[in-house]
Amino acid sequence: MSEPQADFEPKIVAFLCKWCSSAGSDLAGVSRIQYPANATPITIPCTGAVSPMYILSAFNKGADGVLVSGCHIGDCHYIEGNFLARRKMHLTMELLKFIGVEPDRFRMSWVSAAEGAKFAQVVTEFVDDVKKLGPQDKLKKVVST
Amino acid sequence: MSKKRTGVFVCHCGTNIAATVDVARVAKEMADESTVAFTQEYVYMCSEPGQESVVQAIKDNKLDSVVVTCCSPNLHEKTFRDNAKRAGINNFTCEIANIREQCSWVHADKAKGTEKAIKISRSVVRRVNRNKPMEAIAVPVTKRAMVIGGGIAGIQAALDIANAGIEVVLVEKQATIGGRMLQLSETFPTLDCSQCVLSPKMVEVNRHPNIRLMTYSEVQEVGGSVGNFRVKVLKKPTFVDPDKCKICDHCTEVCPQVVPNEYELNLNARRAIYIPYAQAIPASFTLDIDACLGLNPIRCGKCKEVCEAGAIDYDMQPQTVTEDVGAIVVATGFDLYDQENMPEMGGGKVEDVLDGLQFERLISASGATHGHILRPSDHKEPKDVVFIQCVGSRDPAKHCAYCSKICCMYTAKHARLYKKHVPDGRAYVFYIDIRSGGKGYEEFVQRTMEDDDTLYLRGRVSKLYRKGDKVKVMGTDTLTGQNVEIDADMVVLALAMVPSKGTVEIAKTLKIGRDKDGFLAEAHPKLRPVESVTGGIYLAGAAQAPKDIPETVAQAGAAAAKVIALLSQATLNRSPLIAKVRPSHCTGCGMCVDACPFIAIRLENGKAIVNEALCEGCGSCSATCLRAAIDVKNVTQLQIHEMIEACLA
Amino acid sequence: MINIQDIRDTARDMLTKGEARIVIGYRRGTRGMLAEPTFITNPEQADELVWDPTCFHNLSLYLVHDRKFLAHMRQNPGAPVAIVAKGCDARSIVVLLQEHYFKREDIYIIGVSCEGTGVLDERKLAPLLNGAHATNAAFDGDDFVFTTEVGEKRMSAREVLADRCLECRTPYPKEHNIVFGEDETGRQLEAPFAALTRFEAQGAGERWEEWSRHFDRCMRCFACRSVCPMCYCDECVVDSITFPVTAGTTAEEKASRIKWIERSATRSENITYLMTRAMHLAGRCTDCGACERACPVNVPIRMLNNKMEREAREKFGFEPGASIGGPSLVASFLDSDPGDFIR
Repeated sequence: MSEPQADFEPKIVAFLCKWCSSAGSDLAGVSRIQYPANATPITIPCTGAVSPMYILSAFNKGADGVLVSGCHIGDCHYIEGNFLARRKMHLTMELLKFIGVEPDRFRMSWVSAAEGAKFAQVVTEFVDDVKKLGPQDKLKKVVST
Repeated sequence: MSKKRTGVFVCHCGTNIAATVDVARVAKEMADESTVAFTQEYVYMCSEPGQESVVQAIKDNKLDSVVVTCCSPNLHEKTFRDNAKRAGINNFTCEIANIREQCSWVHADKAKGTEKAIKISRSVVRRVNRNKPMEAIAVPVTKRAMVIGGGIAGIQAALDIANAGIEVVLVEKQATIGGRMLQLSETFPTLDCSQCVLSPKMVEVNRHPNIRLMTYSEVQEVGGSVGNFRVKVLKKPTFVDPDKCKICDHCTEVCPQVVPNEYELNLNARRAIYIPYAQAIPASFTLDIDACLGLNPIRCGKCKEVCEAGAIDYDMQPQTVTEDVGAIVVATGFDLYDQENMPEMGGGKVEDVLDGLQFERLISASGATHGHILRPSDHKEPKDVVFIQCVGSRDPAKHCAYCSKICCMYTAKHARLYKKHVPDGRAYVFYIDIRSGGKGYEEFVQRTMEDDDTLYLRGRVSKLYRKGDKVKVMGTDTLTGQNVEIDADMVVLALAMVPSKGTVEIAKTLKIGRDKDGFLAEAHPKLRPVESVTGGIYLAGAAQAPKDIPETVAQAGAAAAKVIALLSQATLNRSPLIAKVRPSHCTGCGMCVDACPFIAIRLENGKAIVNEALCEGCGSCSATCLRAAIDVKNVTQLQIHEMIEACLA
Repeated sequence: MINIQDIRDTARDMLTKGEARIVIGYRRGTRGMLAEPTFITNPEQADELVWDPTCFHNLSLYLVHDRKFLAHMRQNPGAPVAIVAKGCDARSIVVLLQEHYFKREDIYIIGVSCEGTGVLDERKLAPLLNGAHATNAAFDGDDFVFTTEVGEKRMSAREVLADRCLECRTPYPKEHNIVFGEDETGRQLEAPFAALTRFEAQGAGERWEEWSRHFDRCMRCFACRSVCPMCYCDECVVDSITFPVTAGTTAEEKASRIKWIERSATRSENITYLMTRAMHLAGRCTDCGACERACPVNVPIRMLNNKMEREAREKFGFEPGASIGGPSLVASFLDSDPGDFIR
């Protein structure tokens, strides 16, 4: 396991649901709340649309952390998508932990369209936690130069 | 396949983006993408010249797709898509990369912000690379509406829609329409008679050629989506033909069964065969099968014997009818917070402690006591009445966090009406604040406070209990700093307004959301107060939030206007970004069928088939399928895969 | 105790009357004591059927092969396929039925209960024979009896049981058309998921140490996938070789393939493959152990699937292969699903 470097900037992919978390992220922007720039957002219709393969693929391509964020339980724009996500992401999380991947590298959150501050906080905390773990090298594809 | 020619248009947004993102560098990096044929920067891309420049660039460079890196798609996606269409390319080949709200506005470090903006932009370029041209799906609209709930909100909405020439089905669960307003005696601040104001509207509903009234009916199931709902309604049997009933009362006189009368808030009793109020619409009696001795076999039969009009029919069956409508208005109203939840206020077990609706029935001339304010325990006139505001409201620790909005006004009304009925009585009002924001409201409350024998005490009541034939009320007056003890003859609690039981049920049936307090959730708290998040379903009245009658009527009119606008179109445009099956890869396992929240997928001949009218494009099916046999158009797994790659490059 | 004659009679009977077009069962292999799968179409062949502790194969794999063959030949099923199925195998068949892979009336399940004794893992047997060669294995209550050139050797089944049998809770094939043997469901030798619990007791560092070695060793031969009845997909999403190309495949379809991983059998790609497979089997794997037995380099693949099964049972109250009618694990949810891990 690599030592956390002082200048290590984690690369994070954030899957945000269009109706809640992406809107919450927009609200953080409108409110000019500052947070670290390490998480690149990918907007999807619903967390229910996040296939576990996206998580595995992100880690395979070198992500140091993966965030999935959606509507609160009971508030899903598509009624049930986040319930399905909750189950799949739980299984993904457990499998990653099982083989020894640090659980802090994969995070799921519920952020509503009204929670701009929470979104900024979730990203800030996540970046901090991933920084402590150092670069992800367990699942990352090694590319010959 | 010809090479993709994407144009990337990088907006400065003045300094909103350009101050913290090196926009020139973003444009340069995008130009290096193999599918990008053209890049351009502009200070305000959404402005008239900005949009024109995009149109010109598309034409001059024969671009087939566009990425605009700018503000949130919520603001200008439609603008730029319409613009792309003007330039002759399909609007769905235009995508927005949000580098403002999700980048330039939240990162001060220009180097880091620029890196992120490049990643975001690149991921959208990769996505657009595989976007297929799409056309919106035109869905025919059923030009009929349904209003669920026949209180003042439902009545007003139904009348407004019907007057626009659209057929309305009004479904009401009780035996009469009128709801809570029909239970009120007088309304604030004018103190006009509630039934006198409401009855003409109820009659109008009954007579309106465009309104089909279904009372004693409940919505069971709803399928379909905006413009095409299919609703199953259960019409419960009343066992009385409303066309024949002459409301002569003979049946009720001979009925042996006596049950508490829910229409009088249990202050008196009714028979199994009854009419809720004299002004009930439909003007007919109803036989409550649960209270009746039994019809199968007929154990009594007296009501039918005495009915000269021959209106009673024991063979009436429940009927399920299916109604096709294009829009639905939900106006299912409120209940009062259950007194059982407030043990310090007697928990509903102390006699002569009433709620506001019960007090209305006492004051009402057509009520249980014919307009005389009498104690339920001994029918004596109360000389000391305590009114307590904020019972269950404004209490985030134990009860409802919110303010129920109308209680200050109706308590003042109750105090005034009490004094009118019992001139030598004394009224005490315990309050925390006075909220009286409507027209004439503040003046109304001030006049009530000026009455010498109405004492407004700024303080709370810690408890009340029965002592002898009085109700001892222990309260406080914070303005004098004194504790107050009152031996009241009667106490009236201004209990919190909560969403009605019917509201909770209909929200589940319609799959519309409720907010943290259980009221129906509006699409946007400020700008979309009468729309639910689900297209085609609108909200009106206290089911959405506590409110008074003028606000209810206004909201009902607003919901009606939305319905009329929706149904004025012959067809509706639905987003074409819906699920699509690759039959070659589908094994018919049915997982997508089970996962779909909208029951939009079915199996046919061993393959999954998507119902385009129902699919909302959420993607739950795509993430569940093990074989990537189903995908959402223009948001495919391949596109996401390439976006992930772009984010991590 | 099961009388093999009953099974043979059933098979013979069905084939004679044309009630089955093929009977999938076990026969003695060509070498030594191990049984092997057999497909009999003639009533005379029924006498070759055996039932002994070496009948560890999950024969439901061949139901999948049969269906694929029929689809390829564009033939209708005709008379049903009869299959000898242990308790674990019957659950695999339930999952296949749940996923509409074939119709219930096209399968005739000849259920055979191992009566809680379990079946053999011959790798555990070898050291205990002290050089002797076993030519026959038989059930005898809680024991296995082996015939060797130095006489009979009897040992407690527990010593040589396949790992999955140690924790098994369903030795009795609940779904069946006819069944032989008793329902000894109560007999558990180890607590459910005991092996998993032991593994998970280690810290994350140790778990990674162990699994990274497994991932390095994997050569992506896909034996685990080939032998798994649930891996019936024509195109495996993590294997670019399996893309079915026909005359009708368009250029666009070819271009739409997602290359999630490289073909090289390197650690990172192996991890993605194995974890994807584990996720895809969550709620569907019924722990027949065929994958682990097939792996030429002894990767404990079963453990990954076991972990998913434990989550399914303990956190979601879901039992794979329990009911034909219910929804699958990942296509359903409960209000009580855990959500504490969500911020």
